Amino acid sequence: MTADTGEVLGAVRATSPHRAEDAPTRRTPLRPRLTRRGRIEAGYFWLFISPWLIGFVGFLLGPMISSVYISLTEWDSFTDPVFVGLDNYTEALTGDPVFWKALWNTFFYAAVSVPVGLAIGVWLANLLNKKVRGRKFFRTLIYLPTLVPLVATAMVFKMVLAPSGPLNDLLGLFGVDGPNWLLDPTWVKPGLIVLSTWGAGAATVLLLSAMNGIPREFYEAAEIDGAGPIRQFWSITFPMITPIIFFNLIMGLIGAFQIFSQVYILTDGGPDNASLTVVPLLFREAFGFYHLGYASAVAWLLFVVIIGFTILAFRTARGWVFYETEVR
Amino acid sequence: MVVATQAPALGAVGRPEGHGGASARTLKAFQASPATYAVLLIVSAIFFVPFLLMISIALASDRTSAQNAFTIIPGELVWSNFSHVFTATGLPVGTFVINSVIIATLSAVGQVISSSLVGYAFARLRAPGKGVMFMVVLATMMIPAQITMIPQFLLFKELGWVNTYLPLIVPNFFSNAFNVFLVRQFVSRLPSELDEAAQVDGLGYFGIYRRIILPMMWPILTAIAIFTLTATWGDFMGPLIYLNKEEMMPLALGLQYMTSTSNAMQLPPWNLVMVGSILLTLPMIAIYYLGQKYLYEMNVSVGSAGVK
Repeated sequence: MTADTGEVLGAVRATSPHRAEDAPTRRTPLRPRLTRRGRIEAGYFWLFISPWLIGFVGFLLGPMISSVYISLTEWDSFTDPVFVGLDNYTEALTGDPVFWKALWNTFFYAAVSVPVGLAIGVWLANLLNKKVRGRKFFRTLIYLPTLVPLVATAMVFKMVLAPSGPLNDLLGLFGVDGPNWLLDPTWVKPGLIVLSTWGAGAATVLLLSAMNGIPREFYEAAEIDGAGPIRQFWSITFPMITPIIFFNLIMGLIGAFQIFSQVYILTDGGPDNASLTVVPLLFREAFGFYHLGYASAVAWLLFVVIIGFTILAFRTARGWVFYETEVR
Repeated sequence: MVVATQAPALGAVGRPEGHGGASARTLKAFQASPATYAVLLIVSAIFFVPFLLMISIALASDRTSAQNAFTIIPGELVWSNFSHVFTATGLPVGTFVINSVIIATLSAVGQVISSSLVGYAFARLRAPGKGVMFMVVLATMMIPAQITMIPQFLLFKELGWVNTYLPLIVPNFFSNAFNVFLVRQFVSRLPSELDEAAQVDGLGYFGIYRRIILPMMWPILTAIAIFTLTATWGDFMGPLIYLNKEEMMPLALGLQYMTSTSNAMQLPPWNLVMVGSILLTLPMIAIYYLGQKYLYEMNVSVGSAGVK
């Protein structure tokens, strides 16, 4: 958030002097033309941002407000909404075991898939950062899966995760009898995590470019001091890429909490709700059962969970994310 | 969401290699051992297996498909599947493709026009309240789509837009926060002498936008067009909510429809579904490779933003 806030503060700082300038000029009639120009400029500003402003009010702020209201009602969109206060929230949090199951599934998925994907991403980036022949070739192969649309990925992984599919073939090489990934309540979440790690290459590419930016002198000095490659990784490479790891962690968590298409296409939440995550639950409640009030409440609860984890991540960031500029 | 580092992000693929230049001796940390190659080979092979499987199934005969007896290495080469996908599924697959093209293209056009206008204003025009507005823009990036999904659906239903492309296209003409942010960053870094000179010469604000800034914005606008194309092309949830008529569906939704409509006793035509998956994937790979250098350029210009 540091940069974000910096950016925002910068924006405020950049504009507030103008405001300060405008105020006195308006009072002193010495430079009335500038005021007029300023007013015209401001008018054009609002005109230019009107597409965003209209969209913000019509597609975001308005819907957000009505979402709050809908979440306080019982409504099927055909009859009139009935105001029920916080009933939908208490129902989700205390009455509906499926909500907790979905939340747990989502949490499990996010907590495993994001760190595992990042670990693979860092590991591969570190390998590619070496003086490897055919680096471009390897990088392309590792990045390619991230270009495949989710629907196509889901279709292929239906086959990859099939009982006699390639994943179980691979496990068979090690004498492991692979499960029926998508139909076994124990293995369906790991199956979805396998699918997500296919996209680890996105992080690899970002991390690799961050590694490229680390000054060579650091490694030269470390080598003179007798540090081995592993020590060099943990003492130089890793601290220097923590900002990118952190960025990927935040974006990954937000994305993982909103997982939908894979679940909808591969399992539709089954078997026995073992893969039902929050957004598919919300979708089912809203567009399957027309429980619009309940679904809206679930959406807000999800928002709270996402914000909560984002804040948590930023809190811990001070301990492990290293910004070079802070030191210098 | 932006994280400050000097590391460029998106266009990294096009970046020249940094370490181990010809002049310098390779440091130990950058020496590639046979184990490095072994791991890289194994991992890339594993990453490639789903692609192989996709191709293998797409080239399998109907009989193999019905028995679900696929191999990773293509065993059959039934190229006619690539034409059968349009005729033999009982679904208007050609229309799916056209729908996808229409939705993705118009969405990209909408984002390019609207975010260039809004981003220009945030970068160049001065107005009281601008800072607050920009903070609102950034704050909206935090709101997950699920919150607005239901009221938006009700709104569009009220407008009679269900089963049209409009709910998927129209919101793009009102820009999105992230693209506005990208354009603002980009334009902020352009030299302001040009538009100041134009202003002295009597060009209005729209003229400056149209004649001076817009022609310089094309790298970032190309990047935004690519983002939007890929996002809308692959979008599944939006079409799932708004479209239930076959002839309106884009390919992403149509593919899923293809696997679900078959008779319960029968397996979906997996070979044709995979052909469809390839049709869905290839344009994305093509766009990425054509646009790579713009993504890289954008990355250089936006500079510090470690954005995705």
